[in-house]
Amino acid sequence: MSLLSVDDLRVDVDDKTILNGLSLTVDAGEVHAVMGPNGSGKSTFANVLAGRPGYDVTGGAITMDGTDITGLAPEERSHRGLFLAFQYPVEIPGVSNMEFLKAAVDAHARMRGEDETSAPEFIGRARDAASRLELDVDFLKRGVNDGFSGGEKKRNEILQMLLLEPRLAVLDETDSGLDIDALQVVAAGINAFRNDGNAVVLVTHYQRLLNHVVPDRVHVLTGGRIVRTGDRSLALELEDKGYGWLDD
Amino acid sequence: MAGSTTDAHAVARRLLDTGPSDYAPWFDRDACAAVIANLGLPIIRSEAWQHTNVGRWYETVLDAPRPTHGDAVWESPDEVVVRDFADARTANLFGPRQTFDLERYPLAAVNGLLLGGGLAIRVPAGCQASGPVRISRLPSAYQHCLVSVEAGATLELIEEPSPHTHRIVEAVVHEGAVLRHHRRQAAAASRECTLVGVNVAAGGRYELSQLSLGADLRRNDILVTLAGAGAETVLRSAWRVDGRGHLDNQVAVEHALPGGTSRQTYRGVAAGRARAVLNGRIHIAPGAQHSDATLSTKNLLADPTAEVYAKPELTIFANDVKCSHGATVGAIDEDAVHYFRSRGIPDDRARALFVRGFLREAIDDVAVAQALGVIA
Repeated sequence: MSLLSVDDLRVDVDDKTILNGLSLTVDAGEVHAVMGPNGSGKSTFANVLAGRPGYDVTGGAITMDGTDITGLAPEERSHRGLFLAFQYPVEIPGVSNMEFLKAAVDAHARMRGEDETSAPEFIGRARDAASRLELDVDFLKRGVNDGFSGGEKKRNEILQMLLLEPRLAVLDETDSGLDIDALQVVAAGINAFRNDGNAVVLVTHYQRLLNHVVPDRVHVLTGGRIVRTGDRSLALELEDKGYGWLDD
Repeated sequence: MAGSTTDAHAVARRLLDTGPSDYAPWFDRDACAAVIANLGLPIIRSEAWQHTNVGRWYETVLDAPRPTHGDAVWESPDEVVVRDFADARTANLFGPRQTFDLERYPLAAVNGLLLGGGLAIRVPAGCQASGPVRISRLPSAYQHCLVSVEAGATLELIEEPSPHTHRIVEAVVHEGAVLRHHRRQAAAASRECTLVGVNVAAGGRYELSQLSLGADLRRNDILVTLAGAGAETVLRSAWRVDGRGHLDNQVAVEHALPGGTSRQTYRGVAAGRARAVLNGRIHIAPGAQHSDATLSTKNLLADPTAEVYAKPELTIFANDVKCSHGATVGAIDEDAVHYFRSRGIPDDRARALFVRGFLREAIDDVAVAQALGVIA
């Protein structure tokens, strides 16, 4: 049974068809890259996986571990192990990063019928994760993404991924806006997260992240569908030739 | 005496027929009776009452329990002098109604006529009070507290929730003194009116932190006069009303002399069919040069049926001042809610977290988190 199976997914936004029969299968232990030009539907795909309101699924299905999650609420998907690293993380002043992270981890614990993590233990875990991503401890006290630089926001997404330990991490253009050093830190975080029991879907424009996080499969998304699938060499070919040759 | 009316004449007649209470005989009630007799009561056409149903307020006046004599409950450090308002020596502290004009605040006339309880609090010059004065309960529905923080002294004053009361707190903050005033207004079913009048002398500072969680009908009038050069005030208030709750905040900061600084920060949430009002006035008097005043009010409408009225009001009669204000009314940020939910936080908790964070910009108080169910 595949960890993620997307079958003939069709999605409209404001009565305009964005995804037009997208199919994709991801097994545990795999890293998949979804690449494509602007407007191809990459972010729509990522957001629909996470259950964002405003996307009208008109056909097809998304299943995780054999269970149809197409109609589930975002928090239910999260509880089943789905995680989306947002392309544009929301700034929420007034709610501290630590408070938010603990609320999220506690919500998962409650769903599993476990006790909430004690505050000192959680703070220790959060600090460890922050230091792995080379984030200052003060970062945990600040408002969620409030006044964070672009790179800090992306690292904060990876921090959440490390703490929530999802089964499936979908990273929506997590590499955009990162300088070379930050890209390496984020890539190290992703690589540390990878194991045989989970999977990663990297949604990206560029193959530079794939130099650091090597994918098992590379998919090209254009016009709302996967039009080509290959191994890592496909990403290099796209980097070299662009997307136009796929139309030929 | 129960019964609803919107007729100010009838209410005035009933009040005057009732006559003044016998509490604190030294306290002059003639002026109160005169204001009521001259129909100074708020009426439907009053601008200051345009968002509040005057008839409902009349009911609270007419239905309020008659003055009862009982014990006030408070605690204070030894170095602070606290007496019952009825004590004749209170008259020497400072003249009641020194900080506000009875004509402008007709609620005070009703309070004065029916007065039945209160305290007089004095912090001697130079005294840094070692702990707060905490007012837990005062007898009677009509209450009046006087607070004098003498030159160079410091006091923290805490008002616990006092449902179903009409309370006046008057404070004089003398030269270089500091008064930190915390108020919690928490009873959802409460009908109450409060008036805070504060005069701040040169180099003095008055801080207000006011938290209102729920109200059936609550009216807060606050008047701070920066009556000395370089006086400062910081007013912070957060509220959340739901159901059919009604909260009307009328705040005025008067910069009477040069070099005063005022900071006003308000954050409010209205849910259900509730209505929340914030009228924030900054008045810079002629000659009050180099005044520095800011006012920020941000409001959330948690439901489309809720109502918010947020009005900053600036009147400036000096030409070398800094004044700024901002008012916003918006909905809960659904992107933020989705962000929380995508991390596994259920919808209701996600909204509570967001609201708590929003209110925290004005007041960071554990009571907010408890009221919202963010923490047990």
